[in-house]
Amino acid sequence: MPVPKRILYIFSFSKAQIRFLKYCLGFFIPVVLAYLALELLVLNIPINYKLFGKYLETHSQEIEVMGLGSSQVKCGFNPEFCDKTAINLASTSQHHNEDFNILKGTVYRLPKLKYVLLELSYNHLELPHHPDDYWKNTIYLKYYNVNAFERPTWFKDRLVYLSNAHFYSHILMDYYFYKTNKTELNEYGFDTNNHEGAFKKLNYDESKIATHKFKIITREDLDIFKKNTAYFFKMLDYAKTEDLKVIVCTLPLYKTYLKERNQNIVRRRDSVLKIIKSKYKNVVLLNEETDTLNFTANDFLNENHLNPDGAKKFTDLINRKLDSLN
Amino acid sequence: MKAQNAILLVASYFFYGLWDWRFLFLIVASSLVDYFAALAIKGTEKNNKQKIYLYSSIAWNLGVLFLFKYYNFFIDEFSLLFNMQQGEYAFSTLNLILPVGLSFYTFQTMSYTIDVYKKRIKPTKNLLNFLCFVSFFPQLVAGPIEKASSLLPQFNKKREFNSEEAKEGLRQILWGLFKKMVIADNAAHVVNMVYASPEDYGSLSILYASILFFFQIYGDFSGYSDIAIGTAKIFGFKLSKNFNIPYLAKSVTEFWQRWHITLTRWFNDYVYFPIIQKNLRSTIRRNFAIFLTMGLIGLWHGADWTFIIFGAFQGLLIIIERTPLTKDRKSSIFHKSIIPRYLIPVFSFTIITASSILFRSKNIEEVGIVLKRIFSFIPSENVEPLLNKRFLFFLFIMIASEIMTRSKNFPLTQIDKYINKPTRWIIYYIFIFLIFRYAGPKEDFIYFQF
Repeated sequence: MPVPKRILYIFSFSKAQIRFLKYCLGFFIPVVLAYLALELLVLNIPINYKLFGKYLETHSQEIEVMGLGSSQVKCGFNPEFCDKTAINLASTSQHHNEDFNILKGTVYRLPKLKYVLLELSYNHLELPHHPDDYWKNTIYLKYYNVNAFERPTWFKDRLVYLSNAHFYSHILMDYYFYKTNKTELNEYGFDTNNHEGAFKKLNYDESKIATHKFKIITREDLDIFKKNTAYFFKMLDYAKTEDLKVIVCTLPLYKTYLKERNQNIVRRRDSVLKIIKSKYKNVVLLNEETDTLNFTANDFLNENHLNPDGAKKFTDLINRKLDSLN
Repeated sequence: MKAQNAILLVASYFFYGLWDWRFLFLIVASSLVDYFAALAIKGTEKNNKQKIYLYSSIAWNLGVLFLFKYYNFFIDEFSLLFNMQQGEYAFSTLNLILPVGLSFYTFQTMSYTIDVYKKRIKPTKNLLNFLCFVSFFPQLVAGPIEKASSLLPQFNKKREFNSEEAKEGLRQILWGLFKKMVIADNAAHVVNMVYASPEDYGSLSILYASILFFFQIYGDFSGYSDIAIGTAKIFGFKLSKNFNIPYLAKSVTEFWQRWHITLTRWFNDYVYFPIIQKNLRSTIRRNFAIFLTMGLIGLWHGADWTFIIFGAFQGLLIIIERTPLTKDRKSSIFHKSIIPRYLIPVFSFTIITASSILFRSKNIEEVGIVLKRIFSFIPSENVEPLLNKRFLFFLFIMIASEIMTRSKNFPLTQIDKYINKPTRWIIYYIFIFLIFRYAGPKEDFIYFQF
């Protein structure tokens, strides 16, 4: 008689366990399929990150200028009007730690990269960095092939919908159901139709804008300031070692916003700008925050973001700075 | 059974090591200290020696806790008190990470040794089982804090798979995920926005955010507890209930009997009762015990004055509630309250919410700012973006479900007994849909930092 095979105990399931596994499979298969459908639907939406990634891949041998920063740079720098081949990898709420990871993760792929645009807006230095499990890390991994997790990544880190179900659910509903999305992205991923802000709703009427309520952070945080400043200097040191020229910029703000800023925060930030100017030979400043002459209400989306018209003007100013760096 | 426990131990250490493998050495060391201390206590008849072993174990546990959690706080406060700069004194702050779950597993191991010393339980000779008891992964990082008498024996017997228990576990996990991802994370979105810059918000907005913070922390921690208890159920373990609809508490005392029940029970057993049992009739002793216990509960949450004051404030409220105004034991403010009985939970909830401002604020200055903004009655111009009607509806669903099923462990428990399979599955799918569709921005579990 043949000797029956010995089966390891942990792999031998009882009837009850097998029944339960079947029950779970029956229940979870539709959930997994529904999730896969959501993931595919999200990947199908033409979001700006997708275009950034595509441009990064197709123009890697030509890109000379890289824009980094938060939504202010995202809305204020249109590579289309840049005299040199440029890419704008700024995005909403992106902080310096993400900027730095993106720069480090892409610089070796961009042989012609010479100029980097970094942002030092009003309260950039007193806002905490995001943790290293920030949801956008998935985007950077998926579209830019940049690992900002600061740890080895695995399958789950590439699932876009799961990285921020809250955000992507809204995007999905907007794109497929309500169809309210009026975004018109150019090949650089810049939204050329980004006019639908508070100022347009107020017909760019200065008297109405003057009474419009908006959100501004006025909280000071010296500990964060010290940490963020040291981090920013680290970024500038890195740029120096990579032989990159840096434009540290502040974007125009509307006068009602300028008035509400916490002056202590402004003073501290300005002192950092002064130090940068004197310390780094490879850095130039483009301080446009209080430029109320060149930028009028018609150039703004809202109190602290430019619209595409304002972006054209701001990109021209960047062009001038780039010329001065040559 | 041996194989089951060995797999559990490997899984637990793997789970903990995913966060930071270096701290596996600490958890193993803590386990070994208490394992051998308990055996040594049992091995000697001399009370003095037993005391030495017990105190050595307590010294190790509290020492580790102090070093990782409180050392920097005390050094900073010491230097502030004596107006000294770094370098002027012998000790300086250390750059240490707080090991996740340290306060939870330390308390669990400490209670084991104390119980062995008090002869409430017998020490285990099985090292594998003891290591499993300390590191059991569902409750390792944020509780419930289990007593050895209830959890350790469960490792001593072979566990059979029970599909009904497993289903029950999955249902509890689903309910926990709903509370965490839909309630807590959405509440956190508003709370974080307001508390990031309270100077920029009016009284109503801050008040609203503070009330939401109560539900954030409740959804977050009770959600975690549900996930932990549910996971343990799948593995055939029974963990203690940690929350019992705390927002229905009629007093602060009752609130602590319903909130983080296993922590309150721990402090009752090892701090409060040992103090009062020497003289049960002494009011001063009892009040001191309450104040100290609650102060320590506050301190357990973190090394900051906000937590200490939070605990002391709770202690004070409990003392006031329980102190009789006349010789009649039922003449305390709680018993003779002029507030109608049905409004008492609202009154208690208001007090608890007010004290949770201490819990949420980063430091005492922030508490000052928040309270000042609330009581300045500054109009809230930007309250509308904070109001999310859908979220408030989900909050209502959670509260209503919990109240309607208050005699049960959680709302979805045993629904297979009165709802047929297709309807049940529809309910589960609705919950999964709600979690995917309406989950708030991802937030870490609050209690992981403790």
